Amino acid sequence: VSAPLTFEPAAGIPLCWFTAAVRVGGALDPVGLEGFTRHTAELARRGAGGMDRARLDDAVDRLGATLDVEVDRDWLALSATCLERNLDRTVALAAAVLADPMMSEREHEVLRRETQHEIDEVRDDDGTLVERYFQMQCAPGHAYGRTIIGTVASLERIEREAAARHHQGLWAPDNLVVGVAGPITPPRAREVAEALEAAVAGRSAIAPPALPAPETPPGRRLYLIDKPQRTQCQLWIGHGAPAYGTGDFLALMPVETAFGGMFSSRLMQEIRVKRGWSYGASCRMYRSRAPHWFRIALAPTREVAVDALLLTLELFEQLAARGIEPDEHEFAVRHLTGGLLFSQATPRQRMRQAVRHRLLGLDPDYPRTIGPALEAVTVDQARAAAARWLRPDDLCITLVATADEMVPRLEKAGLPPTEIIPFDAY
Amino acid sequence: MWTFEVSHPFAPGLEVRRHRLHNGLTLLVLADGAAPIVSYQTWYAVGSCHERPGATGMAHLFEHLMFNQTVSRPPGVFDRLIEQTGGDTNAATWVDWTHYRDTVPARDLAMVVELEADRMANLLLESPQLESEREVVANERMQRVDDDIDGFADEELGRLAFTVHPYRWPTIGWMEDIRRMQLEEVRAFYRTYYAPNNATLVVVGDVEEAELLALVERHYGELPAADLPEGPPAIEPAQSGERRVRFQKPTAAARLLHGYRAVAMGDPDWPVLSFLGALLSAGPSSRLYRRLVAEKEIATSVHADVAPFRDPALFRISVLLTRDHTPEDAEAEIADILGELAAAPIGDEELDKVRSVVETDFWTELEGVDGRAEALGHYQTVLGDYRRLFEMAEALAQVSAADLQRAVASYLVPAQRSVVIIDPDPELAEDDEGDHEEGDQ
Repeated sequence: VSAPLTFEPAAGIPLCWFTAAVRVGGALDPVGLEGFTRHTAELARRGAGGMDRARLDDAVDRLGATLDVEVDRDWLALSATCLERNLDRTVALAAAVLADPMMSEREHEVLRRETQHEIDEVRDDDGTLVERYFQMQCAPGHAYGRTIIGTVASLERIEREAAARHHQGLWAPDNLVVGVAGPITPPRAREVAEALEAAVAGRSAIAPPALPAPETPPGRRLYLIDKPQRTQCQLWIGHGAPAYGTGDFLALMPVETAFGGMFSSRLMQEIRVKRGWSYGASCRMYRSRAPHWFRIALAPTREVAVDALLLTLELFEQLAARGIEPDEHEFAVRHLTGGLLFSQATPRQRMRQAVRHRLLGLDPDYPRTIGPALEAVTVDQARAAAARWLRPDDLCITLVATADEMVPRLEKAGLPPTEIIPFDAY
Repeated sequence: MWTFEVSHPFAPGLEVRRHRLHNGLTLLVLADGAAPIVSYQTWYAVGSCHERPGATGMAHLFEHLMFNQTVSRPPGVFDRLIEQTGGDTNAATWVDWTHYRDTVPARDLAMVVELEADRMANLLLESPQLESEREVVANERMQRVDDDIDGFADEELGRLAFTVHPYRWPTIGWMEDIRRMQLEEVRAFYRTYYAPNNATLVVVGDVEEAELLALVERHYGELPAADLPEGPPAIEPAQSGERRVRFQKPTAAARLLHGYRAVAMGDPDWPVLSFLGALLSAGPSSRLYRRLVAEKEIATSVHADVAPFRDPALFRISVLLTRDHTPEDAEAEIADILGELAAAPIGDEELDKVRSVVETDFWTELEGVDGRAEALGHYQTVLGDYRRLFEMAEALAQVSAADLQRAVASYLVPAQRSVVIIDPDPELAEDDEGDHEEGDQ
C-alpha cells in the first residue's frame, strides 16, 4: 500500500470502520461555483459499479452498513461502518464508488434540487444560519468563507460532465489517506487499503489550494441577518487566527479554553452563570490546514442581546489587553492535557484522529505530542500570542435577529448594523 | 452492605454485574480496561412524567440546579473539579428519568464517587441559584422550542396526542411554569426523588470492581432511603378518532408529524414497532426514505420510531417536505406504504436487510464507555433490569414478517393518530395560535 494507512485493532464489538479520504475539499471551489466539490462527492455515491442509486443503496443496507460522504473545507472522505462479517463486501462497494461512479444526469438534477432544499433547512436553523453568514463575512473573499454546500445560484451552474472530471482529480493516489479500525488482523486491514487504493490508481491528483492567511477588514462590522419572530439572537463574533499545528495556535489553546472552552470559563461564567443571559457561551479556533479564524458564539434572549453583546466585547477587550492569569493558564493546560485521553479512547476515534491529521498535513501522531507541548507553553507565551492575534477593534459581528426590534437597540448602544441582510438572501 | 444480584455477558471476557446496597442504591459495573477512562452515570427514576400540571419542567430545571452548590462545596466547584481532570460532565432529562454523566480518567474515579454522593444528599437550594437557572432554562426553551420549528412541532404533538397523561407536556416545561416555579417546590422535589433507592449508578471503564464497591459504600452507605411516592397514576384514555392541528411558521418547507398511539417499552410489541421504524426510515433503501425522498422528491428527510418510554406512548413519523410539496402529498404516500405493509407480509430479503441494519445500530450505540453506560442505565431505569437490553437485541432479531404486518394493521391506523402540520408563512405575524380542524377532544 503506498497510501498512508492507519490501522487500529479493536475488540469487544463486531463492527469495523474504514475511511478513504483525500487532502482536498470545499476550499477548492471557485467563486460562483460554491458547492462543486460536495456535489461531486455526493453524486459519486449515487450509483456505482453498474448499480444505479437504488441498487447501490439496497446493496449497502443489505450488509447493515453505512457508506457516507463527508466534505470539509480541507478534505473529503468516504467512510463506512459495517459488521465485521460484511467487511469485504462493504469495501467492494466503497471501491466501486471511488473507481466507477455512474454520475448520472438524473441523479445530478435530483441532487441539485435536494441541496437547494438543504439550504432551506439551513435557513430554518438559526444556529446554522448564523454560521453560514459569519463564514461569508469574516474575511470576505477567503476560500474558507465560501459555503461548502453552495448557494441556490451556484448549484445551478454545476455541470454533470465537469463533476465527473472533478471526481477523477479528487480521488487520486497522491492525495489518498486510508484508515481502518476493527476486530481484524493487520494483513486484512492492508487488504482493505489495497482495494481502496486500487480503485483510484492511475489518476492525477488535484493539488491542495494555496490558502493565504485570512484578512479581516479593519473596524467592527455588524451584520444583522433579519428573520421574523425571533425570541433570541444567535450571535457570532470573530476574526482571523493562526493555523492549527503552529506554535501560535498551541500557545493560544489555553487562552481559548480559559476564555470560552469550559463551563467554568470566563464567557460561560459571566454570560450564563452570573446573568442567565444565554444557554451557552463559548469560543473556538478552527482546526484547519491553513490559518482560519477564531469565533465567539452565544444566543441571548432578544431583550438582553445588546447588553450581552456589549459585555462580550468588553470581556474580549480585557482578554486581548491582559491575556489570561497564571492560575487560569495552569488550569486550562491541565484540562486540555487531561482531555486528550477522551479523544483517543476508542479504536475508531484513534483512527479518525490520525486520518484527520494526515489530511491537514500533520503527523498522524501529532495529537500524542500535544500534551507535552502544551505543558511547555508558559503563561507569558500565551499572553504574547493573545497580544499578537486578538484584535477586538477589528471584528466581524453577525447576529440572526428580527431587525425591526433589534436595530433601534443596537443604534442606541452605538452599534448600528453595517448591513441588514434578509435571512434567505444567501 | 452489598448484595450481588445478577451478571450478564457483554462481550468476550466482559460482563455486566449488578449489586444493590443496603439502602436500595443499585450499581451496574462493566469493567473494561481498554482505555484508562471511566464513565460514571447516575440515573434517577424521575422525569417529567412525575410532575403535575402547573409545575411542568421541574425535573429538567432541577437537573440544572444539581450543578450548583452543596453544603460543603461552593458554586462552581463541581464543574472545576471535573474540568481539572480533563473530563466532561453533563446531564439529561426525559419523561421517565434524569441522568448525570461524568467521564473522567480512571485515576479520578474516587473523586467522582464523592462528588456524586455529595450532591445526591447535600444540595443547597437557595433563591439566587434558582433565579439564575430559571433564566438559563427559559433561554434554552427559546432555543430548542420557541425559535425551532421542529422543537415546536414536537411539543404540539405531545399536547395533542395525550389528554391526561404527563407525556402531554414537554420535558423542558411550559414557559409560564418555568417562570413561576417556587423555591419550596424545588426543595420538596429534591427531598422526594433524590435518594439512593431511586437511583442506579452505572460505571463502565477501567475500574476494579472490589475497589469500586468499597468506594461507593463509603460515600453512599450512610444516605437514607426515601419514601418514594407511587408512580404516576395517569392512564391515557383510548383514542377514538384522528386529531389534527395546523400552524404557520416562517419557513420555506412544511413539516408533517404523525403520532400513532403505541405501546410501552416493556410490551412484547415494542421491538416489533422498533423494527418497523427501521424498515420505514433507517437507511437510504428504507420504504419511506426511498419513496418520499429518493423517488418522488416530496421530502428532504423522514424519520420513524417508537418512543422508548415506560408507559404507552407514540410511534412517530416525521417528514420535512420539500418546498414544492404539501403535507397532503406526503400523507398520501405514507398511507399507501402503510397500506402495502398491512396487506401483505414483506419478503425474506427485506426482512434480512432490516435485521442487518438493526444489528449494526445496536452495536454502534455500544461503541464507547458513555454509550454503554447510557444503554445499561436506560434499560435498568425504564424496564427495571439492564438485561432487557440484550433480550431486546434477541427480540429484534426474531421479528417476523407476520409480526410487522400485524403491528401495522393494529397500531398505524388513522383513528389512533395525532397529526401536526407546519405550513410555510414567511409573512406570519407574532400570533402562533393553532387552527384545530377536527378531532375528538
